[in-house]
Amino acid sequence: MAISDDVLVVGGGVAGVAAALAASDRADVRLISHKQSTLRSASGLVDALGYAPDGDGPIVDPFDAIDDLPEGHPYERVGKTAVREGFSLFDDTVGDMYRGSHTDTNALVPTHGGTVKPTARYPASAAAGLASDGRDALLVGFEALTDFDAPMAASHLDAAGVPFDARGVTVRFPGEFRADAKVTRYAHALDRDENLDGTPARTALAETVKRYLGDEERVGFPAVLGDDDPAGVRADLEAELGADVFEVPMGPPSLPGLRLEDRLYKALEEAGVRVESGNPAVGAETDGDRVEAVYVDRGRRKVPYHADQFVLATGGLVGKGIDSDRDGVREAVFDCYVPQPADRYDWFEDDAFDDHAFARFGVDVDRDLHPLTADGSIDYDNLRGAGSALGGYDFAAEKSGGGVSLATGYAAGDAAGAAVAGATDGATIHGDTQ
Amino acid sequence: MSDAESPDDEFEPVQVFGDETEMDLRPGSDDCYKCSTCDTNCPVAEVDDDFPGPKFQGPEQWRLKRKEDRDIDDSVMKCSNCMRCDGACPSNVPLSQMHNTARGEYVDEQMDKLSREYVRNRILSNYRFFASIASKMPRVANFVAGLGVTTWLGEKVMGISGEREMPEFATQTFREWWEDRGGAQVSNPDKRVAYFHGCYSNYNTPEVGKSMVRVFEHFGYEVMVPPQRCSGTPMFANGMLDDARRAAETNVEELVAAIGEGADVVASCTSCSMSLRQEYPELFDIHGIEDLAAHTYEAVEYLRIHEDLDGALEDADADFPDLAYHAPCHARNQGLEGQAVEVADRIDGVEATDVGDSCSGISGTYGWKEENYDTSMKIGEEMFEHMEAADAETGLTECPTCAMQMEHGTGYDVRHTLELLDAAIVEE
Amino acid sequence: MTHTTEVLVIGGGSTGTGIARDLAMRGVEVTLVEKGNLTHGTTGRMHGLLHSGGRYAVADQASAEECIEENYVLRDIASHCVEETGGLFVQRPEDSDEYFREKLEGCRECGIPAEELTAEEAREVEPYLAKDVKRAIWVPDGAIDPFRLCVANAVSAENHGARIETHAEVVDLLGDEDRVTGVTVRHESGPGKREHQKVGSTEDIHAEYVVNATGAWAGQIGDMAGVDIEVRPSKGVMTIMNCRQVDTVVNRCRPKGDADIVVPHETTAILGTTDEEVEDPENYPEEQWEVDLMIDTLKELVPILEEARTIRSFWGVRPLYEPPEVGSDDPTDITRDYFLLDHEDRDDLNGMTSIVGGKFTTYRMMAEEISDHVCNQLGVSAECRTADVPLPGSEDASVLDEGMDRFGLRSPIARRSANRLGSRAEEVLSSVDPNPVVCDCEAVTRAEVQDAIEQSGTDLNAVRIRTRASMGNCQGGFCCHRMAAELHPEYDEPTARQALDELYQERWKGERHALWGEQLSQAMLNYALHATTMNRDADPAATGGVDYAAFDDGTDATAGGEGERGVATDGGDHGD
Repeated sequence: MAISDDVLVVGGGVAGVAAALAASDRADVRLISHKQSTLRSASGLVDALGYAPDGDGPIVDPFDAIDDLPEGHPYERVGKTAVREGFSLFDDTVGDMYRGSHTDTNALVPTHGGTVKPTARYPASAAAGLASDGRDALLVGFEALTDFDAPMAASHLDAAGVPFDARGVTVRFPGEFRADAKVTRYAHALDRDENLDGTPARTALAETVKRYLGDEERVGFPAVLGDDDPAGVRADLEAELGADVFEVPMGPPSLPGLRLEDRLYKALEEAGVRVESGNPAVGAETDGDRVEAVYVDRGRRKVPYHADQFVLATGGLVGKGIDSDRDGVREAVFDCYVPQPADRYDWFEDDAFDDHAFARFGVDVDRDLHPLTADGSIDYDNLRGAGSALGGYDFAAEKSGGGVSLATGYAAGDAAGAAVAGATDGATIHGDTQ
Repeated sequence: MSDAESPDDEFEPVQVFGDETEMDLRPGSDDCYKCSTCDTNCPVAEVDDDFPGPKFQGPEQWRLKRKEDRDIDDSVMKCSNCMRCDGACPSNVPLSQMHNTARGEYVDEQMDKLSREYVRNRILSNYRFFASIASKMPRVANFVAGLGVTTWLGEKVMGISGEREMPEFATQTFREWWEDRGGAQVSNPDKRVAYFHGCYSNYNTPEVGKSMVRVFEHFGYEVMVPPQRCSGTPMFANGMLDDARRAAETNVEELVAAIGEGADVVASCTSCSMSLRQEYPELFDIHGIEDLAAHTYEAVEYLRIHEDLDGALEDADADFPDLAYHAPCHARNQGLEGQAVEVADRIDGVEATDVGDSCSGISGTYGWKEENYDTSMKIGEEMFEHMEAADAETGLTECPTCAMQMEHGTGYDVRHTLELLDAAIVEE
Repeated sequence: MTHTTEVLVIGGGSTGTGIARDLAMRGVEVTLVEKGNLTHGTTGRMHGLLHSGGRYAVADQASAEECIEENYVLRDIASHCVEETGGLFVQRPEDSDEYFREKLEGCRECGIPAEELTAEEAREVEPYLAKDVKRAIWVPDGAIDPFRLCVANAVSAENHGARIETHAEVVDLLGDEDRVTGVTVRHESGPGKREHQKVGSTEDIHAEYVVNATGAWAGQIGDMAGVDIEVRPSKGVMTIMNCRQVDTVVNRCRPKGDADIVVPHETTAILGTTDEEVEDPENYPEEQWEVDLMIDTLKELVPILEEARTIRSFWGVRPLYEPPEVGSDDPTDITRDYFLLDHEDRDDLNGMTSIVGGKFTTYRMMAEEISDHVCNQLGVSAECRTADVPLPGSEDASVLDEGMDRFGLRSPIARRSANRLGSRAEEVLSSVDPNPVVCDCEAVTRAEVQDAIEQSGTDLNAVRIRTRASMGNCQGGFCCHRMAAELHPEYDEPTARQALDELYQERWKGERHALWGEQLSQAMLNYALHATTMNRDADPAATGGVDYAAFDDGTDATAGGEGERGVATDGGDHGD
């Protein structure tokens, strides 16, 4: 067998990366992902738990609230210690690129829709924007960037009762960009401090904003302030404006998400994890209670990837780890059991934000994260699940996506690494070494 | 008959478009859920706001189309065909196929066939035709290409950027070398590969082809070198789908014959393998084309899958410079972006640093065009900087045009992974 | 509040707005009241087929002849609402030859141009037709946008002095048991353009004559007047595909049956339909089997439908009517003809006529007939001109063929915009700068959204039907909030927020019926964007009571420096 490793992580989102990193100190790890991760669609905030499953919240201390979660919730499965370990793995990995590790308390971050959202870790670029910070804020939107209407967001923050005055203005981004310029175009111009109509981009933007700035001590922009050098962009804007500068996280495509993805993959490289992407895992070779190999479809040919331990971190409905048709919902690689109402019309509720069954679709796992069959027995001894491929929680309503991915990714990777180490040590432990 | 003398692929300056089967890609838009990941990966949209990005050019433009709609937005010609959007899309939207098809339609129906742009694009996309002439008298060709007046003419008359140095032609093509050495030196009916060397390894960098032959023969393969024409990559990028189809017909016929003799097809250029494996079946309906796609591999990939490459490299060392590796976009698309460094890591005496996931910016013929030169260099900026920051003075990549750009931007000598393997395994 | 008008029209569907336009053009003072948006009832819930009449050419030749006549009229007066797709009646091997022959002959008898195509010819027209179809008949079916048509009629009526009130529900009739003299309406906001947050009022509108053009709801108005109107509402499902699998209307050539038509509609294709009688036109079950039936039956004609993505389904209620003495059991047997019920003749109730039954394609003809009747009552002698005068937007049909590279828009955006705006394109698209696209799926720009807001106030569903914004494959996931932002600052933030919530819920209502495969992934992404990224489901502005001081305010959060600036060696990630 040509391609063989100790641990094969299938899936390259936060959960997959956390699993690969957690396993990498004890094992040779390969991570395969089909396409780029859904981080690019996410805001870049890393939530732990913002609301209880019954909607109570915003929760001040997510770690406190974990004890009350129902059985089957991924946090309940891995336990509070793993949640802390997962976050600490994240903190070590991203360093000062993120904030929030100094406290267990959630932060409330303004969203591009004008609300505030409880989250556990926020990019340094969003730090000056926290809603519990009493300093007045000026929000700046760009005419052609329809996803962020700064005056309306400011007004919304006011309605949300934030303890400061928010004011919004809409300006034209300097330079004659076409109306459909991508966010990466804005970011690149600022990264490179491109000359825009005779003025460097950062200066030109500061000049544009300066005349609207009153007594506000901080200025918020849509999250387009650089891709490669956001700290530099911010620092220059701050110097010219004489105020703190922050980004308001945006929906897809998300630069904070993209920056985080870059950082996580850099960490994989440093940890010696072999990374491959571009081809889908489409099935597995199994032998009774063990997975022998995962098949990767290289365009009309299936190539086996062998390993001792496997982590299923392929994502949920958005990441396509969970797939569906009119007849049912399934897990796409190992065909693990996905609990679901038999009737398709029971997958959803009538209100857009009601308690949808589909939002909790994913595989069931035991406390060691082994996927379970319909009758509750373990599928494979050397397979563990992590992240949105798991069911039993609604990350969107709870605001728990990042945390669950970190906690379960960490736990799955750690256990896989331990199993490999155990096997090498001559022990007979398989799987549940936690 | 050797392909080197084959008279059948003459460049025809005037193209006659026949009635082709209409391809309709609207159903491909079904897979798009607007996440815009493709846009964040587009190296062109990042530096040029005249390009509205792959999501618009792909699923949105196609979905908005009606049967009677004939016009394609001319911004599609700004797409460099790097195909990074394909690798980005979490939902399998056939983005590059949409771009290729739209570009084909645009060139077919909207571009003036007498325009400078059209003529220039046809010349660029038929590189092989000119290379085959130039290689007959390489010294003269290199001399002429180096003349200031040639550069001036190229830019003023043809719109080919004067900033670019014309690639040098080898004094002996790969195929000439192959014939001189008497063809395959290993005969093995159970392990055969048909080598698709592509134009560049043949005319410009035959050392890559030679390394390929030596490495595969080392592993006991019988190497076949069937007649072949351009893989079509530059033609797709210029919307010259009819030219590409003509070339594809020859390639499919010859390579499928080799497959019939038990061979798999391997290419040393990642754009060539990409083309045979993905673009051919997407764009053409030629007998055997699926079979060819299923049997095509990039050379190093092939060894990783079929041989114990790790084992072979154990204890291997090589007298080779340290390397700054750039993964070509088309390698990335085939899931091959990690393998070169993975291979280099196992070889003692060589350090290879991945310079990151940015695009080189040249994208085949794209960066050769006068109007794209600046954009191309802006895209490449990040790669140049990372190469210079890396602890190496030599580049490594599997794509000949990326190599040109790497050389152009940094002055580094650029090598191919097969050459590294050759040094480590064969020249032990 | 009271208002006096010559004629009051109840119902803002195609018939009501058609009547309002017709009367206004004859110089009659008209007021139209509609309880929801224009097209709120049946008009906005049809498959968008502009009948050639071929469909009725065997069983109901009178209707067929009316259809082909009006088909030609609408191509002229409403060119920016019509797409001349042509239509096919496709015979499968198991379908009857006899019926095929009857269809062909019937079309010819009714003056409908019809041409028999071999299977190969039919597949040349529509490559996605099943390989085993037997043959087909080509007829001049078309596609029509009912929203645009209805809005254009209303705008024309307004241009001729009519008053159009949407979101104005009739709560009572004025007058006594002998005569109707007007109505009492309850304005949801206003009167005037709808504005969320603006308090509504009640208004008495006195009229010399009242026209009940409420279609399936006619019986409810009848009840208020104390007369029986025996409407037989019949529901039908329509399933919308993400993209056009066909560019021609594809009908199954067999006697009446469910799921026998695919209509290309704008960027989508609509599958239809069923025919099932319901008690209440507003309250009936919307069921899974109906959606499945569309796909499973129509894939026999167009196999790709099996795997294709549907983005939503909706149900419409036909305003069928038959004189009580006919007594059909099966709704498919009820005639598609229309009836003018003069309540003076019929029920000894003066001052009101109801119009029931009929089809969308012949709305103008129905409007003409009832307008003639009303004018007769009022002693107005002006002639109908609605068949000759183009609707606003269709004055210059050549606009539809241009529109490339104009207004700084990419060609497909310019093309779709020009299709929607017709001769108004230049005026609308040059009104805003910069003019970014707000709805990516349907290529709707800010200028077009602003134009619609100007017409309809804060009602984003009214903006939607005018522009198609939020009607594409993301079903508003990526643009609802952008549309709402266009309301601000003209309207304040709470108003815009309420409008957003309403639009988002409306989008969800139809998308629910398409939740599998890609559309389920889309729904989850939309949900994540709105709930996770924007926290709209737990918005403190709505829930209140957040103790901001209890949360992290960033103090002590700075762990160290800001990280390295400038170039790094890692390929794109630089310390932040």
